Parts: sequence; C-alpha cells; structure tokens
Amino acid sequence: MALLDIRNLNLAMRSYEGETQILHGIDLVIERGEIWGMVGETGSGKSLTGLSISRLIPTPPGRYLAGSIEFQGTDVLKAAERDMRRLRGRHIGTIFQDPTTNLNPVFRIGTQIVDVALHAGHADPTVLGLSAGASRREFKRAAREKAIEMLDKVGIPKAAERIDDYPHQFSGGMRQRVLIAMAMIGKPDLLIADEPTTALDVSVQAQILRLIHDLVAERNIGVLLITHNLGVVAQICTHVAVMHRGRILESGKVGDVLKRPAHVYTQALLNSVPTVHTKRGELRGLSGLTPESFA
Amino acid sequence: MTTPEPLAIPRRNQSARLENWSRAFYRFRQSWLSMVGLAIVVALIVLALLAPFIVPYPEHVEGVTNTAARFQPPSASAWFGTNALGQDMFSLVLVGSQVSLFSGLAVVFIAVVVGTAVGAIAGYFGGWIDEILMRVTDLLLTIPSLILAMAVAAALGTGVFNMIIAISLTWWPAYARLVRGEVIGKKEEQFIAAAHALGAGWPRILCRHILPNIVSPIIVKASLDMGFAILTVASLGFVGIGVKPPTPEWGTLLSGARSYMPDYWWTAVAPGMAIFLAVLAFNLLGDGLRDVLDPKARR
Amino acid sequence: MLLFVLRRLVLVVPILIGLTLLLFVVARLLPGDPVGLAAGPNATPELIASLRQEFGLDQPLPIQYWTYLTGLVTGDWGMSVFTRRPVFEDVLTYLPATLELVFAALIIAVVVGIPLGLLTAVYRNGVLDYATRTLALGGIAMPRFFLGLLLQLAFAAWLDILPLSGRYPLIEIPPETVTGFYTVDALIAGDWYALRIALAHLALPAIAMALSPLATIMRMMRASTIEVLQQDYVMTERALGLSNRLILFKYVLKNAMTSTLTVIGLYVSWMLGGTVLVETVFDWPGLGLYATQAILTQDFMPVIGVTLVIAIIYLFTMLVVDVLYGVFNPKVRYA
Repeated sequence: MALLDIRNLNLAMRSYEGETQILHGIDLVIERGEIWGMVGETGSGKSLTGLSISRLIPTPPGRYLAGSIEFQGTDVLKAAERDMRRLRGRHIGTIFQDPTTNLNPVFRIGTQIVDVALHAGHADPTVLGLSAGASRREFKRAAREKAIEMLDKVGIPKAAERIDDYPHQFSGGMRQRVLIAMAMIGKPDLLIADEPTTALDVSVQAQILRLIHDLVAERNIGVLLITHNLGVVAQICTHVAVMHRGRILESGKVGDVLKRPAHVYTQALLNSVPTVHTKRGELRGLSGLTPESFA
Repeated sequence: MTTPEPLAIPRRNQSARLENWSRAFYRFRQSWLSMVGLAIVVALIVLALLAPFIVPYPEHVEGVTNTAARFQPPSASAWFGTNALGQDMFSLVLVGSQVSLFSGLAVVFIAVVVGTAVGAIAGYFGGWIDEILMRVTDLLLTIPSLILAMAVAAALGTGVFNMIIAISLTWWPAYARLVRGEVIGKKEEQFIAAAHALGAGWPRILCRHILPNIVSPIIVKASLDMGFAILTVASLGFVGIGVKPPTPEWGTLLSGARSYMPDYWWTAVAPGMAIFLAVLAFNLLGDGLRDVLDPKARR
Repeated sequence: MLLFVLRRLVLVVPILIGLTLLLFVVARLLPGDPVGLAAGPNATPELIASLRQEFGLDQPLPIQYWTYLTGLVTGDWGMSVFTRRPVFEDVLTYLPATLELVFAALIIAVVVGIPLGLLTAVYRNGVLDYATRTLALGGIAMPRFFLGLLLQLAFAAWLDILPLSGRYPLIEIPPETVTGFYTVDALIAGDWYALRIALAHLALPAIAMALSPLATIMRMMRASTIEVLQQDYVMTERALGLSNRLILFKYVLKNAMTSTLTVIGLYVSWMLGGTVLVETVFDWPGLGLYATQAILTQDFMPVIGVTLVIAIIYLFTMLVVDVLYGVFNPKVRYA
C-alpha cells in the first residue's frame, strides 16, 4: 500500500462563465522517503492537486468528476469531514507559499502552533508523548513544550522566549520556519509544500530547502513539493512530475527526467532555465504550446 | 523613417463626465434594493407635492376638530383612523410629509453648503485657518448633536425654520471634515499644479478644478444623511420641541398619540410607519449611490 | 501604553475647556430668558433683578465663565435657575439610570450583533443571511421612539408580560444604592426579586435602543468577516486541521473585530446623545429627561452640565476604543 495514491483525478471548477475542467486525469504515487517535485507553469493545476489531497477545495465551486485519492488506504474524497480533520495536521502537514500572509497576524506564534499541536495530540496522544487518558492541563503543557522543541528544531534561536512573539516580529525566512514547525509538529506522514521558498531570498531559500530535506531524512516521510523552479527540484527532489494544463506530461526519477526528458514540453522547460553560460538576450520563454501540441 | 500618421481621436457624442454618470446609473439599476428605495423616495416626494390637492379632509389639517368621530379605527372613510380630536390621520400624515421631507432636505442642503465652504477653505489654505476651523469643528463633533439641536431649537422658539437652523448647526461639521480631507488629497494632484502654472487664482482652482472632483463622496454622504435628517426632525417633534400643532409633523403626531397608546394604537402606527418608510427609502437609495459612486466602500 | 493613556487624558483638558467656552457663548448668544421663565409671568422687575444677581447673571460674561470654570474643578457645576438645585448633584442622580440603559443596550447589540455577523458571513446567501440582512435594513431605519412604542404595545399592553414604563414600581423601594445601577445593586444585595423587577423594566427600553446599533454592528461584522475568511492564514489553519469553530470564534473573530470596534465606540455616543428619545417613551428617569426639562425652561446650566458629562464619556469611550484597538491588533504602537 502506497502512502499516497492518486488515480485518474478529474476536477472541474465553476465560475461566472460556467464550469471549466481544471485537472484531466492526474496519476501520482508517493512512497515514504520520496520527495516529489511537481513543476509547471502558473495555472497548470499544481496547487489544486495539492489542496485536493487534504480535500481543501470547497465543493461547490469545485467538483470531482472522476478518480480517487487514497492516503494510506482511505479514499479522502469519500471520507467523512471528521476523519479528514484527523488527517489534516496529524497525518498530512501543509506549508504554503507566502510566510507573510499565512500566519495569523493578531495571535502569538505560540498560540497558533500550540493549537495545531493540541489538535494533533487529540487525534493521537503519542504525538505529544502522552497516553490517551491524560488531563487537559497535561495536554496543554506537553503541547507547549513540544512547540518550543519544534521551533528550536527548525532553527528559531531562543525558541522558549520567541514563542510568545507576534508574527510581525519575525523576518520572512523565520516565519517560514515557524510555518514548517506548525506543519511538522503533528509528526505527519506526508508533507505538502506549495511553493515554500518562492517568496524568500535566494540565500534563505537554500536554508529552508535544507531544513525540509533534513526533516524528511530524519522522519522518513513522503513530500510533495510544488514549485515552478527546476533548480529547486534538481537540488532536493528524488522524483519529479511535470504538469501542464491539468495533465501530468511526464514523471519519474529526477535523474531520468531531467537528464533525458522524453517530452517536448519538458525539454522546452529545461531549455528555458538560464545557466551561467547563457548569453545576454538569450532568455527563452515557453510560448505557443497548447495541450494539443503534446497530444 | 516615415512621418507618423496624425493620431485620430474618435469623436464621442457625449462628454467623458456625462458618460461616467450614465454608466453609474446603469450600475445603480442593477441593484433592485436601490431601485425600490428610489421608487419609494419618488413616490413620497410626489405625494408630498400633491398633498394639498389630494388630501381627503383639508379642514382637519387646518385644525378643525370633529369630536363626534374621535378615535375611529381605520376604515374606508378614514384609512388610518381618527385621533383624539376626530381628525383624519391619513390627512395629517399626508400633509405632514411636506414638513418632514422639506425640513430633511433643507437641513442636508444647509449642512452641505456650510460644511463644504468651511472644509474647502480649511483644506485649501491650511495653516492657522485650518487649525482654527478644525478645532471648532472637532469641538462641535464631541457635543451630542440631538441635545444641542434641542437646546438651540427651544431657545429660538417654535417653527419649521428655526428647527431647520438648529439641526443644520449640528450637522455641518461632519461635512467640513469630509470635504477638508478630500480637498487636501486633490490639492497635491498634477492637474492642480497645471492650473496654477496657467495662472488660475484660488477661487477658480477651488471651484472649477477641485470641487467638481469631490462631488461623489459629498453626494453619497448627503443621500445617506437624508434619512437621518428626517429622523432627527421627527425626533425633535417627538420630544415636543420644534414644530407645534396644528402644523402636522410626523414626530409631533406620534408624540400626541403616545398618551392614547394601548387602546388607540392606530394614531401612533400611521405616523410611525411614515417615518420608518421614509428613512428606509433614503437609506436604500444612499446605499445604492454609495456602491455606484464610491467603489472603494463597496462590500 | 500607560504613557499613552496619560497623554490622552491630559489632552482631554483643553478639549473640555474649549467645549465649555463654546457652550457658554452659544448659550448666551441665543435668545431666551431662563430667569424670566422661572420667575413666572407676574414677577416684578425687582424680583427678576434680584434673581439675576443671585445666579450671577448680572456679571459680565467673561467673569461668569471664569466662575463656572473654576467651579467645575471643585464639583460646583452651577445651579439650575428653575429648580434651584445644584447641577452636579442632579447629574450624579440621573446619570446611573442612563448609563444602565446604555450599557444594557450595548451588551445586547454586541452579544447578538457580533455572532450574527460572523454566522451570516460563513453561511453567506443562506436563509439566515437573507433574513437578518432584511431585518438589519429595517432595524437601522426604525426610529427608536417608534420601536419603543411598538414594544410597549406588544409586550406590555397585549401580551402583558413586561411593565409598560418606569425604572422600578413607584410603590416599591429599589435596592440599596451602591452603584446606582439597580441591576448591579440588586445583585450586591443578593435580592433576586429586585433583580427580576429591575431587569423586567430594563428590557424593553434597552431593546428599543439596541436595535439600530445591533443592525449596524452585524453588517460591519459580516463584511469584515467575509474579508478575513479570504485571508491565507485561514487556509493554513484549515489545512492543519483546526476545527471550524476554533477558527471562526478565535482566529477569525479577533481579526474581524478591529474594524467593528470603532463603530461600537461611535454608537456609545449615539446612544447617550439620543437617550432622551427612549427615556421619553418609557418615562425612564435619566439624563435625557432631565436635559429635556431644562431645555424647555431654557435653563442653561443643566444643559451645559449634561452636554459636558456626555462629552466626557464620549472622549473616555474613544480612549477605551483606541486601547482595545491595540489589544486586538498587536502591530499598533501607542504613540
């Protein structure tokens, strides 16, 4: 049984102009220890695939036409909302793109991370190192200790003091570390990271990627890393899936796909990455490529 | 290199400003609540204008009493019943709409004129003129306006005109604040600098260039305030200050009905509903205008 | 923050001085002769002259103002020409009744308005949403005094479950005065009967006063909640499994409160200024009725006194709002 098994996922979204199909039969299997990079242009459906895994797309306006998403054997598209909540935060952790807007500005970071820890702890007390019969107070104390430990682990200096600070007192990179701590505190089996480094400085990007990489290695979890940056994929991913217009054009081991791209789109994508040897004025874009050209 | 073709600007059959207004009206029509408000407002104004000609018992409005027919419940001959003096409530409420609507309009008009003048001068000149005018404005804003209006109206003596003066006195500061802020914002824009460069004096810049560009927020506030002006007029009447009988006015009518309340409820319901309807209609109209003219405030 | 509060309190002093000056000038500019009215139509010129002397009205205006201003500090707010009672004592007598009414209305408006705003934002375009929005449109347009009359008609006259008017039955003795709030005093005395009576009398006027602020608070809350629900952090909170209840009533509520707070503050002064309307309907012995009485006899000192009290409460409310603003939004620096 795979950790995550997406089969023939078809999603349509309704808007004022009518219903448009966004995802056209996505197939993806993620095992523990694998870091999957999902690359594609803006609007190719990467993020919606990620959100579908925790069933975070409201229906309506969304509508699943066909397919299934099995997480550890249960189909999340058919699960009860209560079971889904137990998955979120505990078994599936999520990080989004912009650390400046994804932390609630009017609450201390401690409050936010402790609430997530408590949620995960209620789903499974062992996450906080407690047994099922623990009292409320024990839960609260354990959650706070765990939060400090986690903040320390993601590299927040003086975590025990800074836990009572507000988000605006942290830099962008530090806030993303806090968000990673929030996503990882429930000891998830799968981490979905939606463009986690896009809004950060290049030097901070590398630190965050290293952090994610180390956490995966330590806990042997699966990761779906959504990005439009092939450099990121080449750095830390084990596998890659190339998305375009709601379809996965090509997927497999990073080495295979990036070295010997089978698909014209992947080739074009790779060619558009500037290298040190690229001359001025040689930047290449992707244009005129419609899904039909790959049919 | 070829000489560029002279750029042809397509001729329009209406000015840009006019086009903006017609587009605004189109959007206004899209909201049926605003249209309902507009319809009621128009109906009320028409009724108020026609009141002298369609009132069923004109003599009751003059103060004639008919004690034989006192406290008649609503019927075909007296739609809203009769009051303690046997007067037809429908006639009183109908004619009363003249005082209420006219006073509301007058209050808002005076407040807009005075407030705009004060605010524009304070905002345009700044410095100590601004300081003095705005300190006074702020002080007036801290005073509970209804109590001030009551005190002034009582001191000036009864009468529609005095009441209008009293309420206007408490209403202009809000407009002064609004206009001052808008003028300060517009003063810095390029087209004002251009007008300066062309040698325009301050009256021209203020009246021809700045004020036409800040009409929208003033209209929005004025239309939203119309309902509350009518409400304030009725409030003064209700507490016994302002218009005195026999001049029919909704608040005064309601106040008179209070003594006979549980048993002869219709004497209160008719004027009360009239106030409610008028305020509601102007609020709906004002909301609609705000959505159209002030897109930032739209929710 | 303490420094901020102190600085604001100091700033109140010049505002109050300016306010008294303005009121004094307005009061003297207006036509009207309180002494003549108080002395009656048959008073001799000598009597009127002696009365004028007694109340210091024969002094030049600057001297009168100075006397008043120095008196303010010592609790001498002038005398009512009509009742010959000191204004400060009267204000202290009537203020608790008004404040009790305003607080009760404020509690109703906030406790009902905020959750309704939240819920209608979540279940947007549902039945509850349309019903409350229609009611809100009506609620804002409903005159307080007419609503009061209708409530009296329904609950006192027809259903006969609540008293028609007044603050406490005239033939009974209200609970011993500690705060002047009958409900609080009854609680302090442990007198459940008195509490029930006081609440029954308070209910209708408080509802009449609360409807319009309730409707506005609800509309504000709905609008700001809709805005907050679209923020990224709400998605993160959902993605990490927090329950909808926790997200809504903890994380969204605090964010949505900030813009509603100002409206609540403004409504305190709106209610205080318009308290006379509800007090007239329900014969509620508060500042409004006191002021009306004084206005009708053109008795300036009580009117100035009431206006001053309301202005002080208004300034104080605005200070509380600003402090709360900082509580709800940690980014606000007190400067």
